[in-house]
Amino acid sequence: MNFADLAQIVWENLRAHRMRAVLTTIGIAIGIAGVIAVVAVGQGGQAVIISEIEKMGSSRYFEVGPDYMKGETADSNTFSLQDPVLIKELSPAVEKMAPLTLGPMVDIRLPHSQQKSMMASLYGTTPDIIDAMNLTIEKGRFLSNSDVTAHARVVVIDAGLAEDLFPKDDPLGKKVFVQDTPLTVIGVLEKAPSSMMDTFNVRSVYTPITFAQEMLNTRVISTLCGVAVSDDAISQAISDSVKILEKRHASTSKHYVGNSLEEQLDMVGNVTSVLTTIIGAVAGIALLVGGVGVMNIMLVAVSERTREIGLLKALGARRRDIMQQFLGEAIALCLLGGLIGMIFGIGGAFVIALAANWPPLISIWTVLVAMGFSVVIGVFFGLYPASRAASLSPAEALRHL
Amino acid sequence: MIRVVGLTKVFGSGDAAVEALRGVTLDIPEGDFVAIMGPSGSGKSTFLSILGCLERPTTGEYYLNDRDVNSMEDDELADLRNRRLGFVFQSYNLLPRHDVLRNVEIPLVYGGAPRGERRERAEMLLNQVGLGHRLTHKPAELSGGEQQRVAIARSLANDPLVILADEPTGNLDTKASKEIMGIFQKMHKENRTIVLVTHEPYIAAYAKRVLYFRDGEIVREEANDELR
Repeated sequence: MNFADLAQIVWENLRAHRMRAVLTTIGIAIGIAGVIAVVAVGQGGQAVIISEIEKMGSSRYFEVGPDYMKGETADSNTFSLQDPVLIKELSPAVEKMAPLTLGPMVDIRLPHSQQKSMMASLYGTTPDIIDAMNLTIEKGRFLSNSDVTAHARVVVIDAGLAEDLFPKDDPLGKKVFVQDTPLTVIGVLEKAPSSMMDTFNVRSVYTPITFAQEMLNTRVISTLCGVAVSDDAISQAISDSVKILEKRHASTSKHYVGNSLEEQLDMVGNVTSVLTTIIGAVAGIALLVGGVGVMNIMLVAVSERTREIGLLKALGARRRDIMQQFLGEAIALCLLGGLIGMIFGIGGAFVIALAANWPPLISIWTVLVAMGFSVVIGVFFGLYPASRAASLSPAEALRHL
Repeated sequence: MIRVVGLTKVFGSGDAAVEALRGVTLDIPEGDFVAIMGPSGSGKSTFLSILGCLERPTTGEYYLNDRDVNSMEDDELADLRNRRLGFVFQSYNLLPRHDVLRNVEIPLVYGGAPRGERRERAEMLLNQVGLGHRLTHKPAELSGGEQQRVAIARSLANDPLVILADEPTGNLDTKASKEIMGIFQKMHKENRTIVLVTHEPYIAAYAKRVLYFRDGEIVREEANDELR
């Protein structure tokens, strides 16, 4: 039997059993569409979370601090203002480093204003922080080294705060009261492209660390924020920093610990990949259910058609011819169902992604695995019963009711 | 042409075993027209199935044109059924979804005949059985007699040596039966070998000789001297 004849017979058989063909196709399509859509949505969500984290700083970002996880905290002897300068000089892996003195909830208001004051996080730091945290200046300038040396009473505010405090005016050169101390606004940061921090409505202001320590009446530096020269140099930068700190602060009992954004990304990656696995398992069950449907339909089809198989054999069909026919039918249904499932799966992924505002990530592997699985199910359950029927003698098959 | 020696067929096993054939020996020369009669369960249909290679005997020998059929592989048997044997069933066994022409073409498809040739041959055969005007009808649109004529045309598709007919008129009225037997008679005159199972003496009367089966054995043979 040549291919054209086989194709004709397969086509005739499928048309003759339209209902069955349609049901089988739907079963396969649902399974495949489910897998593709679910995995695409899961991976899209993962990508969104990762990009959110990347917005929080340079990918070469790292920080060194006491072991907060073990309950240690920084005191006035943990870091000195000279540490970051020295580390930058000594370690070739460290490009930038800024110390951070935090004022978690400071109040901010305009002079003579009856307005209620606002709360913001205060970062007392040095110019290097702009690279570590990926900050961009929209207006004016950022802190300079001379501001730090001079304990200058200047402040850089973020875009949200600028809008709240100066809805109409240019904030540059204006005075604001931070913890009742008047400071001059020298710069405004650009609004970060919709980040999670924004959603939580956290405002932040940046002042020279020297002045911040005076104002907050503390000498505690909580963290050193650094930027490594390259992604590969991050761990080198961390270990160099820790070594230098341990040498300079030999008297303290603190342990210095470094963290990188990379590690945090890895952790998030682990969590979301667990989620993706769970989601994938759910989708896999959908595929399995679709497969069982296909199996049932195929089994029924063959026992119904045992008589027909007997007749075809009586007319001279060889076992091979029968098998080719059933294989052809199974493959045709699986491919058609797979195609429809692919279209609906990809379409569904796009719709959900559009609604959730994240990119639909459709991996070719998901599509291939889903297709492969459905074809295997269709072929196996199409062929196994057909092979049983084809091994009966024609007389036995014809007696079958 | 056909020679069987000591054919037996046992269905089932152990206590449930049923002996359908208990040693049938027979020679059918080329051009013979044999009718087989006998009560239900006498083994005549089983015998025809074995002659038609639809099933294998339990023991015994079967030679078709001096070739040992029992030793053949399944694929060789399929080829034999396709090219050398034509089978006509009591219930016609046409494929309901195909039109008449396609039904007759099926054995030609499995025989590997090219498309154009196959169509020509099927049309020619259907013309011979008087259905040239019904080529695109579905089997359900035809009368029983017409359906059986399609089945006969199908059995002739690959110009077989032997036509095996299992009660071909069993589902037909007398008039249609006579038309069908007219076709068998014509095939006999063209020197085709025919083996036909029937219950009806007036059908058996068309044959050159009649074999009577009882309990899986040939118990009597009659020659019809006078051919109608």
